Amino acid sequence: MILPKFTYKKVKSVAEAVAAYNSHKGKAKYLAGGTDLVPLMKLRLSAPAAVIDLKDIAELKAVSRKNDGWLAVGANVTLFALKNDPVVKEYFPALYESLDATSCETLQMRGTIGGNILQDTRCLLYNQSLEWRKARGFCYKMGGKVCNVVPNAKACFSNYCSDNAPSLITLSAQLRFVGPKGERTAGLEDIFSGDGRRPLTVEPGEILTEILIPLKKTKGAYEKLRVRDSIDYPLAGVAVSAKGGTVRACVCGIGLKPRVYDLSDMNEATVKEAADRMYGDAKPVSNTVLSAMYRKKMAGVLFKKAVKRVLQEG
Amino acid sequence: MKTIGVTIQVNNEENVLQVKPYETLLETLRERLNLTGAKEACSMGSCGACTVVVNGTPVRSCLVLTAEVDGADITTVEGLQKDGKLHPLQEAFMEKGAVQCGFCTSGMIMTAKALLDRNKKPTKKEIVKTISSNICRCTGYKKIVEAVEDAGRKKG
Repeated sequence: MILPKFTYKKVKSVAEAVAAYNSHKGKAKYLAGGTDLVPLMKLRLSAPAAVIDLKDIAELKAVSRKNDGWLAVGANVTLFALKNDPVVKEYFPALYESLDATSCETLQMRGTIGGNILQDTRCLLYNQSLEWRKARGFCYKMGGKVCNVVPNAKACFSNYCSDNAPSLITLSAQLRFVGPKGERTAGLEDIFSGDGRRPLTVEPGEILTEILIPLKKTKGAYEKLRVRDSIDYPLAGVAVSAKGGTVRACVCGIGLKPRVYDLSDMNEATVKEAADRMYGDAKPVSNTVLSAMYRKKMAGVLFKKAVKRVLQEG
Repeated sequence: MKTIGVTIQVNNEENVLQVKPYETLLETLRERLNLTGAKEACSMGSCGACTVVVNGTPVRSCLVLTAEVDGADITTVEGLQKDGKLHPLQEAFMEKGAVQCGFCTSGMIMTAKALLDRNKKPTKKEIVKTISSNICRCTGYKKIVEAVEDAGRKKG
């Protein structure tokens, strides 16, 4: 498949990247690993006038411990490099497992953690070629006035399919952005708008520079539903992290934003109650290769499986 | 549209090229350099048939712009043989019957080569995990895994 025409620019610093974005009057896209952006451009779901390559910005590639108790992960650290970071394996097992479950090794070596978090939502009837989509008619997410999956729906039902955002949410990660309007920090769970046309509340031109994770040892696990053991996006995914007395779980892959569940404890009653809530809250529609009902049931099942592994019961 | 000047080392040969900014590495390799070993199958990064090794890392060349890899050292399946002698992986793939239609083979071999270069003695589990990056619709993977195991033994 041939790419649409665009100009290409490699930048060496975040400030240079933002300046390049401004000079294109917003019609530019940032490129990191390209494993998400390039397919979207090939399908004409994204057609920027310019592509700004962030790969050469040295400060975005570092993983460092901060003195005030945070691990700062540069947004351009590849999923593979982060997975093999000893701190991640020791401190954040849920993140280790979700990194390991993301796509396949070759794509993990190219794809970045920042790109994985900021990926667009997906739908079986959206991630298709332009010809395919034209024949079907444009849906809400393509700028149309209907949903092609749910007749008479008033909104978009696409799925947010990052494996690593849910595990980072259970670790209470923060994101640092630099953009045309300056710097800001936001909690990862707060960047979701709930609107399929623009699922993330990232301002135009903003660059995700760092992911900050509180550096405290946790126990955790990530469970993912998929058809094949490799390459697939999650059809449902559940991350669980426990530290001290608190437990945090997060469900993703169903709907526009990850859903967070805070538990005071992991005993039979609290786990069952949370699993039931996950089942009730999950509102999948028929826009993946598995049926909506199956995915709904699996939300709670995956959670119970993850909890069992966290408690080392099997 | 303005072209971009890039210098890439492909199979130990320096190439100075003027490429389109929206040209993928796969297009450059196949259409400019006539290296048709890397195949275009899905073109979306799902299948791995276009895998080549860039600076020691396996990459999907259909997802990489040639402009991105300016200055890189690239190895394709054509560059594996040395003085007419095939790479142990190529030998093992033939010996074990790991090739059927052959469309995935160059991608499989390049993915396996990058694995053997960073891990001399991979376990069967590690091989399966790495090879699961690539799709083969003929062999059922068993013979491919056997071939990589065999090449690892011979090479190590």
